[in-house]
Amino acid sequence: MRGRERLIRDIATALALGLIMLLAAACATTAEPAVEESTAKMETETVAAPAVSSRLEAVRDRGRLICASLNDTPGFGYVDESGNSVGFDIDLCRAVAAGVLGDPDAIEIRLITAAERGPVMQSGEVDLLVYVTTWTTSRDASWGNFVQTMFYDGQGFMVPKSLGVTSAYELVGAAVCVNTGTTSELNMADFFRQNNMEYDPKTFEEAQVAFEAYKSGACEVFTSDRSALTALRSSLENPDEHIILPETISEEPLGPLVPHGDEQWFDIVKTIMGILIYAEAYGINSSNVDEIAAGDNVKAKRLLGTEGSFGQEELGLDLIVGQTVIKFMGNYGEIYARNLGPETGIDLSREGSRNALWSNAPCTDCPKGGQIYAAPLR
Amino acid sequence: MRLSLTYQGIPIWRHSRVLSWTAQIVSGILVVAAVAFFISNIASAMDSRDIPFNWTFLNREYSTPISETLLPYEESDTFAYAFLVAATNTLMVSVVGVILATTLGIIVGAVQLSGNWVISKVATVFVEVFRNVPLLVQLFFWYILLLGLPSVQQGGIVLFDAVYLNNNAGLSFPWPEGQQLPGVWLLCVAASIAVGLVARVLLDRRETRTGQPSYPWLGAIGVVFAGAVVAWIVWIVIGNAPFVMSVPHPEGRFGHPEGGYSISIELTALLVGLIIYTSAFIAEIVRGGLQSVSRGQSEASRSLGLGTMQTLRFVTFPQALRVIVPPLISQYLNLTKNSSLALAIGYADLTSVAKTMTQTAPAVTIFLIIMGIYLLYSLTYSLIGNLYNRHIQFTGG
Amino acid sequence: MATADTWQPAPSMPPPRTETGWIGWARANLFGNWLSGLVTVVTVPLILWAVWRMVSWVIGPADWTLIASRPQQFLIGLYPTEYAWRPLTGWLLVSILFGMAAAMWGGAARRIALGYGIITVLLGVLPYGLFHEGVVMPWWVRAFILGNLLTLALGYGLGSNPKTAKPRTFVLGGVGIYVLLLLILIGIPGMEEVAPRKWGGLMLNLILAVSGIFFAFPIGVLLALGRRSNLPVVKVLCVVFIEVFRGVPLITLLFMSQVLVPLALPANFPVDSVTRAAIVITLFSAAYTAENIRGGLQGLHPGQAEAARALGLPGWQVTMLIQLPQAIRNVIPAIVGQFIALFKDTSLVYIVGMLDILEMGRSIVQGNVQFADNARELFIFVAAVFWVFTYTMSFVSRRVERHLGVGQR
Repeated sequence: MRGRERLIRDIATALALGLIMLLAAACATTAEPAVEESTAKMETETVAAPAVSSRLEAVRDRGRLICASLNDTPGFGYVDESGNSVGFDIDLCRAVAAGVLGDPDAIEIRLITAAERGPVMQSGEVDLLVYVTTWTTSRDASWGNFVQTMFYDGQGFMVPKSLGVTSAYELVGAAVCVNTGTTSELNMADFFRQNNMEYDPKTFEEAQVAFEAYKSGACEVFTSDRSALTALRSSLENPDEHIILPETISEEPLGPLVPHGDEQWFDIVKTIMGILIYAEAYGINSSNVDEIAAGDNVKAKRLLGTEGSFGQEELGLDLIVGQTVIKFMGNYGEIYARNLGPETGIDLSREGSRNALWSNAPCTDCPKGGQIYAAPLR
Repeated sequence: MRLSLTYQGIPIWRHSRVLSWTAQIVSGILVVAAVAFFISNIASAMDSRDIPFNWTFLNREYSTPISETLLPYEESDTFAYAFLVAATNTLMVSVVGVILATTLGIIVGAVQLSGNWVISKVATVFVEVFRNVPLLVQLFFWYILLLGLPSVQQGGIVLFDAVYLNNNAGLSFPWPEGQQLPGVWLLCVAASIAVGLVARVLLDRRETRTGQPSYPWLGAIGVVFAGAVVAWIVWIVIGNAPFVMSVPHPEGRFGHPEGGYSISIELTALLVGLIIYTSAFIAEIVRGGLQSVSRGQSEASRSLGLGTMQTLRFVTFPQALRVIVPPLISQYLNLTKNSSLALAIGYADLTSVAKTMTQTAPAVTIFLIIMGIYLLYSLTYSLIGNLYNRHIQFTGG
Repeated sequence: MATADTWQPAPSMPPPRTETGWIGWARANLFGNWLSGLVTVVTVPLILWAVWRMVSWVIGPADWTLIASRPQQFLIGLYPTEYAWRPLTGWLLVSILFGMAAAMWGGAARRIALGYGIITVLLGVLPYGLFHEGVVMPWWVRAFILGNLLTLALGYGLGSNPKTAKPRTFVLGGVGIYVLLLLILIGIPGMEEVAPRKWGGLMLNLILAVSGIFFAFPIGVLLALGRRSNLPVVKVLCVVFIEVFRGVPLITLLFMSQVLVPLALPANFPVDSVTRAAIVITLFSAAYTAENIRGGLQGLHPGQAEAARALGLPGWQVTMLIQLPQAIRNVIPAIVGQFIALFKDTSLVYIVGMLDILEMGRSIVQGNVQFADNARELFIFVAAVFWVFTYTMSFVSRRVERHLGVGQR
């Protein structure tokens, strides 16, 4: 009996002790650092002062830029023959690395699944998310800051031609394959619900399996952003046997994201995206950088850092950041052509689409131009 | 003063009670401090990075489809209900998987010990292949195989215009029209379960008394089944409810079978993969268990005139069960946890639905909830297993 | 001895021909009774048919270009090609261990070393990577691979020399090589760093599994002791830890390691996602190891500990010298089983975006048009690779079990 009593007493004491500690901890977290001040003070100081531990500093100390990206969409992000991650989105990451570190290869690509984008951005562990990510308000609020639309897209449906379907409104009763954790999944649900159409959704964690299911005919329809559909269609054995239906059911402005909590870093990435866009507008490309830097176009020279400034110093960037970025990566048009242009076999036509430069229009104020536009560099 | 006398001779810091208390307090404080440190970090990180954490979303409309559900589900249902639906899906996979994997595992394990060289080798190869390859690889493999079925557009496979097999809707077959089962019927089933239990006890006694095999469990299950069917028929006759079989038939532009009951290829691939993988482990457990029963037992039973099956049923297996049950339970736990790989092949289980939910609701909360649900399942299995284990162990020793 | 008045039995007749030789064997094992005969008659043609179908698919319509053209990515993932000599060097070091084991223990270890040597030669000599345009296997890689034969021989020499052939040398050497291997892969200060994130392929599966078991074992022992301890606080903590890690799917834990753990650590805490995944895998398998060891401890006769205490051994010595060694010996098969499970579970790290051999292959299939229809070949290849490793491990486990005489007392 006495043994048991002692045991009970021991457990009770231990539990009480634990409770007290928990309570103390809870107080410490709610009522500002009061109890734990002595231990936590040094850390909070270093974290709180933005000048000391800004993300720019962190990246430079680390010597490489960490980008979260994808490996399953030809043209935007995939693994090539020699085992490198390549694609339009990867090039955006390389451009930032070139601008910040002077070396486009100083990158570390974290390959993640679509559903992990939010949590990974919230963890603050990556510097940049380049993952054909649609800019939505709720993502902007909870994932991180959207920097700049680098690609205008919209969701579409791909079906085999043999079905004879010509419109998305004919898809009643179809099995639809979609990648989970994407806006495609949510938009698809909205579309079918809005139009009172029955359907059979099949959601997959990875696009590879989803597309495998589409190829086998297990779902009649594959839905994703139109650009991704075009890229995937080009990877099919007989691309001509599949069509992308004319309806675009959503607006999908795609672009990179940075984590919340560092405005300087947000501005840096925005500026580098601007450099890519304006370099194309000013006719600067990777082969004529030096020529133009020494030329007499004032706007172009400002971009290249040989005349005036557009805020490089305030952002903590080199004066000639423009030269570095363009020399290594080329301008927006070159990046587009390299990954999505006619020679790649994907051939997402840019001419006349939203992804043309605003200045491609016949006149400056014509509505016919594209929508690729950025904050002017000055 | 008396206290100090008791400690005379041993320095206080070497007294075992003092030592153990110190160890406990120190470890307790360390752990609590660590937990408090982590929690405070999480709280401040959530605060500074605007990471949502709340439970209010549970009453919101989920408004996302779930492809295949056991419970009826509409997109207008709430998150909380969607959790319930997904958890039921996982539970269904787990229960069906456990039953079939156990059956297959016992068969394969017994066959391994069979006198026939060919099939005992086949069973061994089965075990060695399927337990040594990662489940994920196997699931992908089964799924790719099932995707190779003809699609509806290619004609599919149709038997008697009633059973449809294709890679779009999976296997569809006739099924009684889904009327609401009345409470009366459930009561009748409950009653027949009670009768079945009584029947089991009676048959068991008869078996002990007469020595004639009376199959108490078989009898009990038969009684319950018969009771359920009879009650159902009576309800149809008396309650004037029309008995309707729903037969699947091609419907709509894409000709997917409608009506009847359908099992998708995603679920099939998941179940096939889980059952084969787990049964390979169970077969090894069963084989080990049967071998652990000493040879003299079966020899004695044979010399008493019992046949092979009787020896297995009354002598070898009950004794082997004591060795088999504990590792068997951990295989059931593994099966339940492994069912979370469903998300790789597109079946809407708990993990898969939860991952989709993270798009529109706080991820941290969602993962806490599903960890809780999995823990609940695990603990339930452990509890049932331990109770059963206690029941079959030697008593009075 | 034989005299006239002792009775001599007549020499026994040889068994009838139908009871010996292959006829007798077949009668006993294939046609023991009518049921067995029926089973044999039905299954044999079925098996032959199935095997024939499989073999004809493997050598016929199956297209193995995917595997033959990307050997490097399957082996080391996206590890930079210019530093490929580092994993290759590590491989050379590991071969020493195989050689040593072969010389020291003979038997199964020798057979494994032999098979290992043959596979090495095949990898070094087979003309994969040559038939396919754009992919060339440099000569120096082949030289490195064949160099394994030399280090294997070196290990054999070390194992044959009585000075070095001690289990302690082997274990210490193994640990040393493991640490050295990790250092080489990351890059010793002065060399270019290759972050763990770039590791991949089969190498990653092996490293995660070995690291997992290496660290899981001591943690598991501590947890098992803690769970059996009579200190309530310690016991409760250990039980909670073990049950939580055993009760939740590994992929959920891995996902948590990417979502919640970074929040729980101070900002800029230098633990990257790969390490975190490795830690989670380790803790997961430590919980299982703890239960195995606890089983072993429970199986011990209490007399063992009582006798030791009666001899005056202090408590920790009773545990360390009497109970644990016996318990561990009894649960070696279970621990090897756990290791195999751990190795298979490393295929789940795709959750955290790491390109292990399976995910690497899936990336290749997805990103390249020419391989779009080769998923089936990929899964069979990956299954075969895993199978070779896991089957070898369970083979070793059975031999060790027999050698130690577990369950034969």
